[in-house]
Amino acid sequence: MDMLIAPERLELAEAVRDYLAGTHGPEVLRRLDAGPNRDPALWQGLVEMGLTGLLVPEAHGGLGMGLLDAALIARECGRVCLAEPLVESAFVATPWLIAQGQTGDLAAVVAGEHRPLAAHGINGWVADGEGEPLASIDPLRRLAALHEAPSDDPLLLDLGALMSAAQLVGLAEAMLDQAVEYAKIRTQFGQPVGAFQAIKHKLADVAVALEFARPVLWRAAQALDDRAASASLHVSHAKVVATDAAYLAAESAIQVHGAMGYTYEVDLHFWMKRAWALGGAWGSRASHLARIDTAVIGAAHPIGPENTFA
Amino acid sequence: MQLAYTEQQQAFRAEVREWLAANVPPAPLLTLECEEGYHQHVGWERQLASGNWGMVTWPETYGGRGLDLIEWLIFEEEYWGAGAPLRVNQNGIFLLGPTIMEYGTPEQKARFLTPMAAGEVIWAQAWSEPGAGSDMAAIKTTAYRDGDHYVINGQKTWSSRASFADWGFGLFRTEEGSQRHKGLSFILFDLDTPGITRRPIRQLHGHPGFAELFFDDVRVPVDNRLAGEGEGWSVAMATAGFERGLMLRSPGRFQAAARRLVELFRQHEAAAAPSAREAVMRAWMDAQAYAYNTYAVAAKIMAGGKIGAEASLNKIFWSELDRAMHRTAMQLLGAAAELRALADGSINEWLEGYMFSLSGPIYAGSNEIQRNITAERLLGLPRVGAG
Repeated sequence: MDMLIAPERLELAEAVRDYLAGTHGPEVLRRLDAGPNRDPALWQGLVEMGLTGLLVPEAHGGLGMGLLDAALIARECGRVCLAEPLVESAFVATPWLIAQGQTGDLAAVVAGEHRPLAAHGINGWVADGEGEPLASIDPLRRLAALHEAPSDDPLLLDLGALMSAAQLVGLAEAMLDQAVEYAKIRTQFGQPVGAFQAIKHKLADVAVALEFARPVLWRAAQALDDRAASASLHVSHAKVVATDAAYLAAESAIQVHGAMGYTYEVDLHFWMKRAWALGGAWGSRASHLARIDTAVIGAAHPIGPENTFA
Repeated sequence: MQLAYTEQQQAFRAEVREWLAANVPPAPLLTLECEEGYHQHVGWERQLASGNWGMVTWPETYGGRGLDLIEWLIFEEEYWGAGAPLRVNQNGIFLLGPTIMEYGTPEQKARFLTPMAAGEVIWAQAWSEPGAGSDMAAIKTTAYRDGDHYVINGQKTWSSRASFADWGFGLFRTEEGSQRHKGLSFILFDLDTPGITRRPIRQLHGHPGFAELFFDDVRVPVDNRLAGEGEGWSVAMATAGFERGLMLRSPGRFQAAARRLVELFRQHEAAAAPSAREAVMRAWMDAQAYAYNTYAVAAKIMAGGKIGAEASLNKIFWSELDRAMHRTAMQLLGAAAELRALADGSINEWLEGYMFSLSGPIYAGSNEIQRNITAERLLGLPRVGAG
C-alpha cells in the first residue's frame, strides 16, 4: 500500500512542465486566438517530447507508461491551457484504441502524423475533430460535430472523464496562481488586496479544494490503470471534485481580479473557459454523481473505513 | 503507487479486527465529558493498553508496538469501523506524546510516556487564557523560577479534559517582562498540585467537558519543563502541528460517520430533500479524499519528509467535513433531531456529534487562523496588517 507518487514519475511531469512553460505561455494563446488557431510547430514539440507515444507500448515505439503518468501530464496541459488536442488524442483515444486491439496505426500515432480522436455518446462532439465546426466558448477548443455514431464503451467514458479531471486540476492550480500573483500587486486602500482577510480566505478555500482533489485524481488514475472493478466510481469522484475545484478557482480568481477579470485583456479568461468546457465534457457533474449514487447509496460498493481501498 | 495492502498488512488488520471484536464494549459508553463516562473511558484506555493497543506507533520501550504510519492507519480504520469508544487520552497520546518524543530528555520520556500509553495518566491541555485564545502569544500566566521550582500564577481556560484528568501541559511566561512569542516555556504539571483550582465549564451539551484552571503560587519542579527555558513557543507550534496534521483525527472516524450517514439516508430516503442526497455522497467523497491524502502524507513522512503549513489545509478540511456531515444528519432526522434519545432509547449520537462538530472549526487554532496561515505561508500572500 503506497499512495505516494514515485519521484521518477514526478520528474517526467516536471520536465513537461518546464517545456510547456518555455513554449506555451499566455502569448501563444493570444496569438492563436487572433490568428489561424493552429501552430504545427507546437504539436511537433509535443511529439518530440514523446508525449503522443506516452501510452503506446514500447513494442510499438512508444514510452509504454501508465494512466497515472498521463494524468500527471494532463494536469500540466491544463496548467498552461494547452491549445493542442494532446490529451484527447494521446491519453484518451489512443489508449482506448489499444485496449480494443487496434494497434495498426500506432507508429503514425507516435510520430504525431495521425491524431486519433474518439467520442462517447455522452458528448455529441469532439475537440479538434474533422466534421461540422461548432462554436465553443473556449476559443481554442475547435469543436466539431460528429459524422459517425459515437461509442458507448464505458472504458472510453472513464478515460475521457479521468483526463478531463486531470486537466481541470491543472487549470484550477493555474487560476489560483494567477489570482495570488494579482492579489500581491494590485493595491487598494494603501495595501495589496492580498493582505485583506476576505481575499486570503477566498484563495485559501481554493487551496483546500485542490489539496483534496489531487489524491482523488491519482487514486482514480491508478485504479483505472489497474482496471479495478471500482475504477468508474473513483473516476466519477475525481471528475466531480476536479470540476468543483475548477469552478471555485475560476469564480474566486475573477473576483480577486475585480473588473479586470471581466475583460479579454487579462489572460484568466482562457483558463476559465477551458474549465467550463471540460467541466461538462465526458459526463456532466450530474451523470457522475449518479454513478457515485449507485455505488455508495445503492450499496454497489462496500464503504466504511476498512474499505478505503476497496 | 500501489493500491493493495501487503500480506503482512492484511495479517495485521486481521489481528486488530479480532482483538476489537472480542474487546469493544457491546453498548456505547457514556460521554467522556461527564464524570461517570470519563471513568468508563479510562477503563477502556487501560483495556486497550492491556492488549498493547494504546499507542501502536510508539516504541515498545514505552508500551507501544513500534508500528509504521500505514499500520497505524489500518489500526484506526479497524478501530472506528468496529465502533470503539472515543479516546479520552487523545491530548496525551496524539499531542503531548509526539512532542515529548521529539523534545523530551530520556528521563522525561521514561517518566511520562510509559504511563501515558498504559492509560494510567490522562492528560489535559492548558493552552488558552481568557485573553489568549486564537492569539496564543498573548499568554500572561507566569512561571517564575524559585530555586529548582517554577512558581505559577494566573489562569487558563477551555482546558479540554481538565475537569477530571490527572496532568496538564501548557505554555507559561517564564521571563519577566517578555513579550509575545518570547520568554515562554512548555511546562507539565500534576493537576492535583496545591494551589490549582479547577472550575468545570459546562459545554453546549451540558457536560463539564473542559475547565478553567486557576494557579495560585503553584510550585512545579523545573524538571517538568520540556525543552529549554524560553523555547516554549516553538515546542508548542510542533504540538499544534501534530494536532492539525496527521494524528489527532484519523480518517477512519470520518469514514465510519459517513457510512452511518449513508445508512441514515437510506432509512429516511422517502422524505429526504434532494440536496440531502448530494450532501450524503459528498460526505463519503470527502471522507475518502481525506483518507487518500492521509495515506499520502503518512508515506511522505515515512520517506523522511515533514508536514509543514499544509497541516492547516488538513484541519480546515476535516473540521468542516465533520460539521457538514452532522448537519446533514440533523436535517435527515427532521423533528427527531431535537430528541436527546431516539425512539429505541439510544443516545441521539447525531445531535451529540453535531454539537461537538461545531467546536472543530474553533479548536486547534480557529479555521480563520488556518486560512491566514494557508494564504500567507503556502500561497505567499502578504501578512495581515503588513500595510
